[in-house]
Amino acid sequence: MNFFLHINKKIIFFFGLIIVFSFLIIIFSKQININNIDLNISQKILSNVDIAEPKFAISNDSRKIHITAKEGNFLNKDEILLNKNVKFKSNDFSIETEKVIFDRNKQTAESKTKSLFTSKNTTISSDGFNIYDNGNKIMFYGNSLIVLK
Amino acid sequence: MRLVFSITIIILFSFNIIAREIGETEITTEDGIEVFQDEKYYLLKKNVKILSDNFTLNAKDVKINFDKSLYDITELNAKGQVNFVSPKFGLNSKSETLKFVVISEKLRVDGKNSELITKDIEMYSDGFIEVNNLNGDFKLEGLNSKLINESIFIKAEKIEGIFSNIENQKEITFLNVIDKKISYVKNNNTEMYAKKINFDNTTSIIELIDNVVIIRNGEKIIGDYGTLDTKNNSYKIKSNNDTKVKVVIQNNE
Repeated sequence: MNFFLHINKKIIFFFGLIIVFSFLIIIFSKQININNIDLNISQKILSNVDIAEPKFAISNDSRKIHITAKEGNFLNKDEILLNKNVKFKSNDFSIETEKVIFDRNKQTAESKTKSLFTSKNTTISSDGFNIYDNGNKIMFYGNSLIVLK
Repeated sequence: MRLVFSITIIILFSFNIIAREIGETEITTEDGIEVFQDEKYYLLKKNVKILSDNFTLNAKDVKINFDKSLYDITELNAKGQVNFVSPKFGLNSKSETLKFVVISEKLRVDGKNSELITKDIEMYSDGFIEVNNLNGDFKLEGLNSKLINESIFIKAEKIEGIFSNIENQKEITFLNVIDKKISYVKNNNTEMYAKKINFDNTTSIIELIDNVVIIRNGEKIIGDYGTLDTKNNSYKIKSNNDTKVKVVIQNNE
């Protein structure tokens, strides 16, 4: 009798299942890591929300960046911690992230959570960002990936 | 079994989402990106890898100039252990810095041990190598500048000329070679030395100026000015000193 006919089909099935689940665990663990990023500064536990659905803007002569979020908490006179579904939108691009510290006086915004920048034919994913110089300059932190179409 | 099949399909689909699609350019950096919107450029920092359909580039840092938006690249400047490979153009280069201007298709590599290799021609220099893909202009300048192809070897401080595509092969149609010490050109079985060597494909003449030496078949002829006709492989040498006899040797091969 052929050697392969001796192999138990159940063993092949379960072996295949183990390999498949191993792949799934690797993929999902990476996904979980991406979602579990802490913002150092936001380690202060904020019990109450100071501003619901805050809206701000960073502007200069050539562009205006609108900022929205679900929650906002004052850290001091100028700095506001924007939480959950934070979005930056201008005519040229948008950025989405989870936590941002916005400085009303300096007109800067800094995030250390995973961020996604989108503009025409371009996406940038990074470990955070810093918008400064009235929105003219954006620094994306850490391991970054740009996809140009 | 159907479950295993379904899960396998999901996994394959997940990998497909992660992979770069045709027509896309993927850039990865280890230390972020800085975008200067008004100045229209962005800096890619630390161990930059650029992967596109036409080329791959690795470098420590890269600066990209753009026109309308980030994807609209006009110029690329790479710095630090630059490695550029383009299977589409049959091009391979290693250098300390690399500059590519998109509109003029001008590529320049700089630094010690710079090399630019195509399927027909190899170029090396400790200074810089510049190639214009649109009009075929090329220039090598600096110590140890060398240009090598199937039939010619050139070594000089400054080599410039024009490539033309003849029958799908890059051939040199115009050449200026200068070295304040001495330039060296080897063409087939002839070795030539001079301070300045010129070649024009329309006349098929190699012109040798100052401190001329031609070596062929164990014969060595010295003069101040010489010409070599690449069509019939004959050469002439003159001396500035009128009392010296001019030498003309006809090759009977």
